[in-house]
Amino acid sequence: MATTACFIIVSRNDIPIYETDAGSATKREDASQMHQFILHAALDIVQDLAWTTSAMYLKAIDRFNDMVVSVYVTAGHTRFMLLHDSRNDDGIKSFFQEVHELYIKILLNPLYLPGSRITSSHFDTKVRALARKYL
Amino acid sequence: MDPVKTPLGKMLLEEITPVVMVLRTPLVEESCLKNSLSFIEMLSPFCDFNNIDVPVRTSSDQPYRLQKFKLRLFYESDIKQPNIMVAKERLKQVITEAGEKDRSDLSTDPPDISNVLESSKSEISPSWFEIFNKELVRTVSFSEHEAFDHPVACVSVVSSKDEQPINKFVDLFNTNKLPSLLNDGAMDPKILKHYVLVHDNKDGPSEKATKILTEMKNTFGFNGCHLLCINSSQDEQIEHQDNPWAPYKFDSLPSQHLGRYLNIDDFNEIKDLIQELSSKHIIPYMEQKVRVLNQQVSATRKGFRNQIKNLWWRKGKEDTPDSSNGSMYTYSSVESQIRVLGDYAFMLGDYELALSNYRLVSTDYKIDKAWKCYAGVQEMMGLTYFMLDQSRKEAEYCMENAFNTYLKLGSSGRQNATRCGLWWIEMLKTKDQFKEAASVYFRICSEELLHSAVMLEQASYCYLLSQPPMLHKYGFHLVLSGDRYKKCDQIKHAIRTYRNAVSVYKGTPWSYIKDHVHFHIGQCYGFLGMYDVGVTHMLEVLACSHQSKATQELFLRDFLQIVQKAGKTFEVLRLQLPVINISSLKIDFEDHRTYASPGSTSVKESVWCSLEEEMIPSLPTARTNWLELQSKLLPKYKESNICVAGEAIKIAIEFKNPLEIPISISSVSLICELSATSDETNSDVSCSTSGIGNNEEHKNLREIISDTSSFSLSEVNISLGGGEAYLVQLTVTPKVEGILNIVGVRWNLSGSVVGFYSFGANYGKKKIAKGRRKAKQSPGNCLKFMVIKSLPKLEGFIRALPEKAYAGHLQHLVLELRNQSEFSVKNLKMKTSHPRFLNIGKQEDLDLEFPACLEKKTNVSPPANPKIASNGVFLFPEDLSVQGENLLLWPLWFRAAVPGNISLQVVIYYEMGDLSSGMRYRTLRMHYNLQVLPSLDVSFKISPYPSRLQEFLVHMDIVNKTDSESIQVNQLSTIGSHWEISLLQPIDAIFPSQSLIAGQAFSCFFVLKSCRKSSSTEESTSSLFPHIGSNVSLVPDGSKGAPFDTSNSPLADFHDCERLQHGISNQEAENSVDFILISRPLKNNAEPGVSDAHHVFSHHACHCSTASTSPISWVVDAPRTRHHDFSTTSFCEINFRMTIYNSSNARASIVMKTLDSTSISDQLRDETSGNQVGWHDVSLAKDNKMESDAPRNHVRKSLLPESVSAFIWSGSSSTRVQLKPLSTTEIPLQICVFSPGIYDLSNYALNWNLQPVDDHEKVGERIESSGTSLGYPCYLTVLP
Repeated sequence: MATTACFIIVSRNDIPIYETDAGSATKREDASQMHQFILHAALDIVQDLAWTTSAMYLKAIDRFNDMVVSVYVTAGHTRFMLLHDSRNDDGIKSFFQEVHELYIKILLNPLYLPGSRITSSHFDTKVRALARKYL
Repeated sequence: MDPVKTPLGKMLLEEITPVVMVLRTPLVEESCLKNSLSFIEMLSPFCDFNNIDVPVRTSSDQPYRLQKFKLRLFYESDIKQPNIMVAKERLKQVITEAGEKDRSDLSTDPPDISNVLESSKSEISPSWFEIFNKELVRTVSFSEHEAFDHPVACVSVVSSKDEQPINKFVDLFNTNKLPSLLNDGAMDPKILKHYVLVHDNKDGPSEKATKILTEMKNTFGFNGCHLLCINSSQDEQIEHQDNPWAPYKFDSLPSQHLGRYLNIDDFNEIKDLIQELSSKHIIPYMEQKVRVLNQQVSATRKGFRNQIKNLWWRKGKEDTPDSSNGSMYTYSSVESQIRVLGDYAFMLGDYELALSNYRLVSTDYKIDKAWKCYAGVQEMMGLTYFMLDQSRKEAEYCMENAFNTYLKLGSSGRQNATRCGLWWIEMLKTKDQFKEAASVYFRICSEELLHSAVMLEQASYCYLLSQPPMLHKYGFHLVLSGDRYKKCDQIKHAIRTYRNAVSVYKGTPWSYIKDHVHFHIGQCYGFLGMYDVGVTHMLEVLACSHQSKATQELFLRDFLQIVQKAGKTFEVLRLQLPVINISSLKIDFEDHRTYASPGSTSVKESVWCSLEEEMIPSLPTARTNWLELQSKLLPKYKESNICVAGEAIKIAIEFKNPLEIPISISSVSLICELSATSDETNSDVSCSTSGIGNNEEHKNLREIISDTSSFSLSEVNISLGGGEAYLVQLTVTPKVEGILNIVGVRWNLSGSVVGFYSFGANYGKKKIAKGRRKAKQSPGNCLKFMVIKSLPKLEGFIRALPEKAYAGHLQHLVLELRNQSEFSVKNLKMKTSHPRFLNIGKQEDLDLEFPACLEKKTNVSPPANPKIASNGVFLFPEDLSVQGENLLLWPLWFRAAVPGNISLQVVIYYEMGDLSSGMRYRTLRMHYNLQVLPSLDVSFKISPYPSRLQEFLVHMDIVNKTDSESIQVNQLSTIGSHWEISLLQPIDAIFPSQSLIAGQAFSCFFVLKSCRKSSSTEESTSSLFPHIGSNVSLVPDGSKGAPFDTSNSPLADFHDCERLQHGISNQEAENSVDFILISRPLKNNAEPGVSDAHHVFSHHACHCSTASTSPISWVVDAPRTRHHDFSTTSFCEINFRMTIYNSSNARASIVMKTLDSTSISDQLRDETSGNQVGWHDVSLAKDNKMESDAPRNHVRKSLLPESVSAFIWSGSSSTRVQLKPLSTTEIPLQICVFSPGIYDLSNYALNWNLQPVDDHEKVGERIESSGTSLGYPCYLTVLP
């Protein structure tokens, strides 16, 4: 279980459409803004790397101090970004894959406008459960 | 690209140059200070040679020409490792100075990011970075392991004024004062010495100086002595164009005239001195040293044999501990010598030689684990590779290696690592590897905040410059840097970085990022006292609902603090706190439709319209009146709404607090604009404001606010708790005619910030509050009103209408109408949506005492028909007019008809007395919601009285469904004169308690007797008294007064409504009966048994059928028992009668058939079915005669068991009678019984056929024209 983990789904327009703190650590006051900054800054690197590989899982692409950013890019260029401090590559990969499935289910909802915020509470609980399971 | 031309190359050629140590006496310094310069400062402009053109020959035999050369001059006291604290102070000073200079454009808007990208490199990063970096590099100068900072030569300077100058020269070289480098053996103390005598021409002619010079030459040798005459300018001060000293003097003030006593001769003299020093002494000295050292190194280290030897020798020292400093190598050690050789070669530009030596020594250091020396050599190797412009990879590898090695050393290597990193970065920048450079910047961030702030800022610019630009990283590093600047109180730097960050993050949906950036830049501006700019940034973070409560509090508190410090009220367009829910905007205004209460407007327009349909003049008429009139007058505004001067327009809009902390909002009011009718241009301008930019709009709004003379506004103060939403009701009351435009809303947040919100900007999203007439207009017009001159307006309410009532509750109410204006209104009409609930009374009912008025009076007058038009519209008397202070009171009857939530609407229509006004009529709409609770549930079941004709048993079930009320049942009445009702048993016996407590059920039987006479007489009476009926009191006699009068208003009126509700007309009541049950609630706290005099419940049950579907009823009038002695006569004849009653209005022909014993019925069925299909007419000739009919019809299957002995119908087996309407007849019947037993006399059938009297209009009403009825059980016991 990672002590610090923050998971954000970023739409292709660089808009965060889902955010959750999957970590177990007691949150510092400015933690969420720090996480956002780090993940936001990592978008540049995702941009570079996404086109160099055919794999969706880009592994750990960026780091800030002891925190690592792992990214998974879907075919629609929606980016799943995980900020974590543990090195559990397989777990993260499985996490991303399962979240991708959940995300596809969200996309299949005809009432969901792609690129809009994911507000489904079901999705939220599922993602949190996955985070507990894999991270 | 030539590496020398690159920034790094230039930097290296400036920084890695021979050092000259300067020893001077105080008098020398004194002479120089006359020019506001120190001695070194005076010389330094001349130490930099761009084209010295000296031939140099180092290791190889081929000389080359050295072009660029520089000497670095230092006083002996400065040649030491700078104190870390001092260095820090120095750095801080540099930063602060840079910040001061940067003041220029702090308050302007942040640049657009696309503009930033287009601007050139030099524009992007501030120029003071170079200075800072240079200072940073200098913090690690004169370290022991690096030979290039070791002085190459020593210049001793003595003034001609000094006494015994020769001794002074000797004294200057006193070892005590010399830098530790020379003393502790890190470098060779035998360095090149040079002697300079300074003569100040102001002190007199130079003869004395010349004398001393000769003396010097004798003492120190001819070559190493010089005379320098300065301050030759005698009187006038020399203004130097393009002052050469300016770049070397950091803290120079413009008032100082640098070098004011130095004339051109002095210039040349200084220049010559330095030139000679360089080319004739230092360079040859270095050349020679390089050659000597090279020979030594070659002898000891080069070649296979030496290498083996070296390796073997070093292996012996393997177990030496890690040595972090270079002190283990003295100047005489081979390693130091190689290093000196390398550095000298580097400084002389012989990079090949330098590189080979560095390589040689680096392995030695590595094996010796002298990491600092190793790192230093690696660093130099990297730089040498760079200068050679070959093998980039090698260069970078060396730099990284050096950097990491320095970092490994811990704190002692930190600064070296920084310098190394800076060089590395420059190297990377030269190759356009900005991304890598940025990451190196990030790596050289130390714990020290200020230092790392600068590094991070530089890193951010690197990200910006990289290809493609990495804007996200740029922003992030700017914020990191800004945060550190802010912590170090470098506010101006913080603002600069944050400002750049704002341009990156402008409009970002990443909420936390946006909040952080805006909050911090706002705070910074606040610190600097630039409150205006600060506030604009703070405004961005106010609606931070995603933040934690503590953060929200912090944001709001800081915001208010800055606002307070600014000391003025800010007017902010689109203030985000509170959030205005524009979709909740609801406008209530009154044109010809007026509303009695605010709740009335929430009723759908269509409901009102359908109610008003019957009352208001039809559309064509209306068009010829005011509507067309107006469209002629104001064709432009025909689509705008109409309102009346002096009458308020109500706007409801929702304010929502997005935060978790409470906020207080005061002075919420509308922004309106009222222009005279002719002033069209003005309103046009305001219409188009939404298209103009913010400032323009803001200005416009402010102008609009200032003009409030022609209308009055309401102000509301609210306090919103965390997350709370509040619907604010605002009103504007126009005072004069014209065009009123509601522009927006303004409010005051926490008493210091005024927020504006323009409705115009969000027209698209707006819902139109009132649908019908405005559906086709452009939405903007909803907020535009045409104000017409004031009109009379009726206000009305119903006094004491309960909000909650039990079903059946009956109450007398008064409608109160008031007209405030002095103009009268006339032609009042009224309609209610639920006549079952609300009935309009008669004027004389007004003062009735309730409920006494319900009681039966002795003198019953026929009720006058109220003036109710066909469709339920009540017309008030025509002479009635309401005006001034007079109240119009009108009685109403209220009865809660059915349980449930009822929305009750009342519309009152009235016309203006004054026909010249803009409108001819108006309507007053009243709306009430009431909740009706279930009280008594009454059901009736009527069955024929078994033994009597025209009498019925009424089974009444009452359940008290209230929660707590006890209800006393008072009276049951039937409606209509042809029914009489009476109790089956005395009420005391069956219902002693006389009241029903909550939940109690009760059944009771009554006898209902039909007393219909002929139809002709009845109709005449019933038309007069349709509701006269009979009553039965359910309370003991005498306990209460007169029974309630069910035949009079209001009970009768309500009863009519109930009947209408059931959808059957009045006349159709032949076989049904209507009941009215009157009850009263008992007050719980009062003594039991006393009913509350003011509450009467009436329960109406309509069309309770009298059970028998056929119009024919009969009674078999047989004896119950009969004694017969069968021994005497074997059979017994029993005679009895059957009475038949025709309750219909038609003549009936009835055939009574007796059926014999059941045993044969089955056999006969087949036979009879053939010719007995349907019922056939029988001739009417034999009226009132019994006639036997041959075929026997077996329609009934016997229910009797076979064991029961049969009896025989011994009279006529079929009897036919004709019955007039509402008449009875009797048929004699006889049976024969052969044995004692119990006999069921039910095996007969009555076939009846109704024949309409002869009036055709009644054909449709006939329910049944013919039918058959089977006999009902009637048991006869024959006893022996």
